[in-house]
Amino acid sequence: MYKAIIIENLSKMYKNNRGIQDINLEIEQGEIFGFLGPNGAGKTTAMKIMVGLMKADKGDVKINGFSITHDYEKAMKDVGCIIENVTPFPYLTAYENMQLRGRFKKQVDETQIDECLSITGIMKFKNEKIINYSLGMKQRLGIALAILSNPKVIILDEPFNGLDVEGMVEMRQLITDLSKQQKTTFFISSHLIHDIELTCNRVGILCNGKLICVDSNNNILQNYSSLENYYLSEVDLNGES
Amino acid sequence: MENLKAVYINEIFKISKKKKITSVFIFTIISVILSAIAVYSLNNFAGIRITGSSEFSIMVLTILSYSVFPLFTSFICIDMFAGEFAEGTIKFTLTGSASRFNVFLGKIIASAAFIIVNLIFAMLLSLIVSLFINKSIPNFLQILLSYIMAFLPIFIFALAVVVISIIAKGTTSAFMLSIFVFFAFNGLALAFPGIKSFLFTSSFDWYRLISGSYINYSKILRIFLILLGYIIMLLSAGYYIFERKDI
Repeated sequence: MYKAIIIENLSKMYKNNRGIQDINLEIEQGEIFGFLGPNGAGKTTAMKIMVGLMKADKGDVKINGFSITHDYEKAMKDVGCIIENVTPFPYLTAYENMQLRGRFKKQVDETQIDECLSITGIMKFKNEKIINYSLGMKQRLGIALAILSNPKVIILDEPFNGLDVEGMVEMRQLITDLSKQQKTTFFISSHLIHDIELTCNRVGILCNGKLICVDSNNNILQNYSSLENYYLSEVDLNGES
Repeated sequence: MENLKAVYINEIFKISKKKKITSVFIFTIISVILSAIAVYSLNNFAGIRITGSSEFSIMVLTILSYSVFPLFTSFICIDMFAGEFAEGTIKFTLTGSASRFNVFLGKIIASAAFIIVNLIFAMLLSLIVSLFINKSIPNFLQILLSYIMAFLPIFIFALAVVVISIIAKGTTSAFMLSIFVFFAFNGLALAFPGIKSFLFTSSFDWYRLISGSYINYSKILRIFLILLGYIIMLLSAGYYIFERKDI
């Protein structure tokens, strides 16, 4: 199977001696990978390096076969992402923000923008300025931006933040559909472990900057009653309370 | 190239959606009209001839070069860099699949375009107004050359603001630092006249070198090379810091 994301020896240390160390990971095309870990474990740092917002001290990330360090534009060509929080331009409307993103992608027209806004349920607010949006609406826009032009890889950091229950169910369904129908690869971090359990095929746990385990959801659920129990036992074993 | 084009169009689009763009045109119109009233009154009622038709456009350029242009250029550059860093919208810009080099270059070209549009607008407006004041045909070539020459020092100031904006923690500190640099350079020129020719702020009115009957080409070339040096240094420094900055 084609490897959509390859992370090799990825390391980044901050001045306070926190960060990530020697992360190695391979994610296959069409996989929905859940990235779990306690607060401050380094999930966002890893994801920021994956999309080029940060430079790694060591190691590299390859997306669709292209290095994020040496071939950034080719690597990011088919990538959609939400990192940390959704930050559209507040003085522009949702539609204008989509236009900004669409200019980087080929063949993005008004129909495609409208389709993404409809899928994420914010079509009726498309001409409202972002400054008037709630957190949940911004999150929906973030997902609309991430799926614009059907990218092959979507990297989502806390995608369910601020969404109502209805929104979470819709987004979970959207992720599953895109993965099945279009073989879109997802790399998702979330502290909402129930959503990860319901959405992801494979899960990795990051603790103290190290990737302590990677396993498929099916394997985990054969040995544990829930992903939450597995997560707690693995994190406990590695010295986190 | 496609990504650079996308960044440039996006930056121009963002500038066009800001209220500052309206303000800069309003301030330019007010400056030109006030200058015209002052010149017309002195020419016709006080019996003092202040400017000819060509000189009016140059006078307007001098006023704007030391006030409206640097002020609004710094606003735009601060919004482009420090503003986006502070609001977190830089993540939106940087994850649009353009490399940092293309993002940086696209923003710089957009700021240059903003300066050029301002200069063209001020030049056309001052030319139209000067026709009413002096009722004679101005030396269009000289005016055009002066406005082209005025671009360089304003652009250098914009690059200096860009470097400050990338380093600064917020928009206010970036603005204060930019103002400080502007006044510090002008102060240095007054305190140490020997180094005046090496300070880009002393070249804000270097277009006056082509307005006399004798044109000192070697001096123009020397200043041009100094300004070019500033552009190369500031572009390199700006890109180096921007490329290494963790978001």
